[in-house]
Amino acid sequence: MSEQWMFYFDPNRCIGCHACSIACNQRHDRDADEDDWRTVTHLERGEYPDFQELPVSMSCMHCHDAPCEQVCPPDAIVKREEDGLVTVNRDRCIGCHYCAWACPYGAPTYDDEGLMSKCNMCLGEGPGSGHGKPPKQKPEDGGLKPSCVDNCVGEAIKAGPVSEVMAEASETAARRFENGAYNSRVIVEPMDEDSAAGMDDVADASIDANDEGAAAVPAGGSDADGGASDWLNG
Amino acid sequence: MTSSLIALETFVGFRWLPADYWDLSIPVYLYLAVVAGGAYLAGASAWFRRTLGGGGGRLEPELIRWGFLIAVVSAAGAGLAVMSHLAVVYRALLFPIYLTNFSSWITIGTWILVILSVIATLCLVLALFGEDAADAGDGDGRSLWPRAVVAKVGVLPTVDRLVDRVRPPTGALVALHAVGVLFAVATIYTGFELAIVETVPLWNEPVIVPALFLTSGVAAGVGLTLAVTLLFEREIGRLAGGYAVAVGVLSGVSLLIAGIGWGEVAAGGMAATASYSALTEGTLAIGVLVVALGLAVALVVGVVLGAAAALGRLPEPVERVGGPLLIGSFGLLTVSGLVMRILFLLAAEQHPVVVVA
Ligand code: SF4
Ligand code: SF4
Ligand code: SF4
Repeated sequence: MSEQWMFYFDPNRCIGCHACSIACNQRHDRDADEDDWRTVTHLERGEYPDFQELPVSMSCMHCHDAPCEQVCPPDAIVKREEDGLVTVNRDRCIGCHYCAWACPYGAPTYDDEGLMSKCNMCLGEGPGSGHGKPPKQKPEDGGLKPSCVDNCVGEAIKAGPVSEVMAEASETAARRFENGAYNSRVIVEPMDEDSAAGMDDVADASIDANDEGAAAVPAGGSDADGGASDWLNG
Repeated sequence: MTSSLIALETFVGFRWLPADYWDLSIPVYLYLAVVAGGAYLAGASAWFRRTLGGGGGRLEPELIRWGFLIAVVSAAGAGLAVMSHLAVVYRALLFPIYLTNFSSWITIGTWILVILSVIATLCLVLALFGEDAADAGDGDGRSLWPRAVVAKVGVLPTVDRLVDRVRPPTGALVALHAVGVLFAVATIYTGFELAIVETVPLWNEPVIVPALFLTSGVAAGVGLTLAVTLLFEREIGRLAGGYAVAVGVLSGVSLLIAGIGWGEVAAGGMAATASYSALTEGTLAIGVLVVALGLAVALVVGVVLGAAAALGRLPEPVERVGGPLLIGSFGLLTVSGLVMRILFLLAAEQHPVVVVA
């Protein structure tokens, strides 16, 4: 396999404006009224004046292990050798929704026809358009820049081949990714510089969702072990 | 505590995924597939007893007929249920061409269900038609439903002759029924379809869920076969008693497995806890009671009444109410098996996406 493409997210730079999800909807002719292939969730805690909000932008992560692909009966989901992107061949999909159960990020969506569609890293435009397309090219090589990345006002989302995304990430984020944080499916920046520096000591720190309300504990960050999908640890 | 750990505690959020991707047709499918397996086992075991064990009783042919018939109807119902959920049915019907991912339990399950359906249909036709079947009933056996349907069309003698002409030798029949038994047990796949889903802790029990789906489904399939048979054959003889004990034991094992699984869910992580709350606090709690009651009643009635009948020690007054008791308790067992699978769907929660900032 040549180099895998992947997403990067920096929560410090995300302002929760939904420009990414709207841009995604526009490029792929999705319903403009709601988040679809890319979602922005506003997580909230506490009450005024101790109120905190954290916007989280997510889409398909094009997982290296693609759990959706493993369960898809007609092999409609393809983990591409050439760029690691996970695409959908809607001419094979039977609309069984098994992929939605398998996906740890809620990425698969189903339209009125009942067929699955999801982020294709803007390989093409519209549902299923990424399938069978030539390998993803970087914008400087003539490839289409992912619309969400292009329209992110704070440059909170990036996408590209793993080595290049890692080169742009902070040292801490890159090291944690290498150490298997977030199941090595996405690179996420720690929340701020102070915590980033401190994170050197607890490279794989994550919340243990088996122990609700607990403080962060060092963990391998595996979905199966941790009882939760560790998406952002900052 | 380092400064980083303090920072980690400043914000912990959870994004819950919808977890509502399937409708009620899926639990119906998951249930009917394994009920078909159970009913087939009831029919095939009676067939083996009659063919190899020399059993010449009145009950065997009835168990064979109803067992295979319920297996065929249940398997067809399972197929219709799952297809009603799919977006593109013709691709599912062309499964040898489209379902190519043999690491997916839906693909594996489709083959198991289709092969079981074909074998059960063959076994039913071979049991239902031919000279033997004609001799078994009144006159030409036309009272044996669904022979009656063929008799009404007026082609019964032709069908009987045709079936006898193509009837394989006993050795081949034994092989056919034995292969059917393997595929009937293979309906355990319905449990694996859920158990491999790592995002749902309620399902992600690779031993408990498949074992529970198999034992409870087979108990229901055998119980339903016996109940329908007893509707027409009121007398509970030794053979019926033996089957009743088997249903009772399977129900007891299901209850035990469900209890172990219940403990696992209660002690699980966030999504497991959410499932546990749904099962204990809302309307789903009524369903949990129905499941527990259905399995417990089948256990007690099946084992106590069945053992007494199997040993030929059923007191006369009990004998009179024994049939309705067995029919009622196995009917409840059948309902509870479906309710169990509906609960598995409605209480499913996916691991939330954890956000720590
Ligand atoms: S995020 Fe979900 S849909 Fe995307 S590759 Fe991973 S499992 Fe598949
Ligand atoms: S819904 Fe389509 S893409 Fe998803 S698992 Fe089923 S067949 Fe595959
Ligand atoms: S990469 Fe393209 S398809 Fe994927 S979320 Fe961004 S805009 Fe949507």
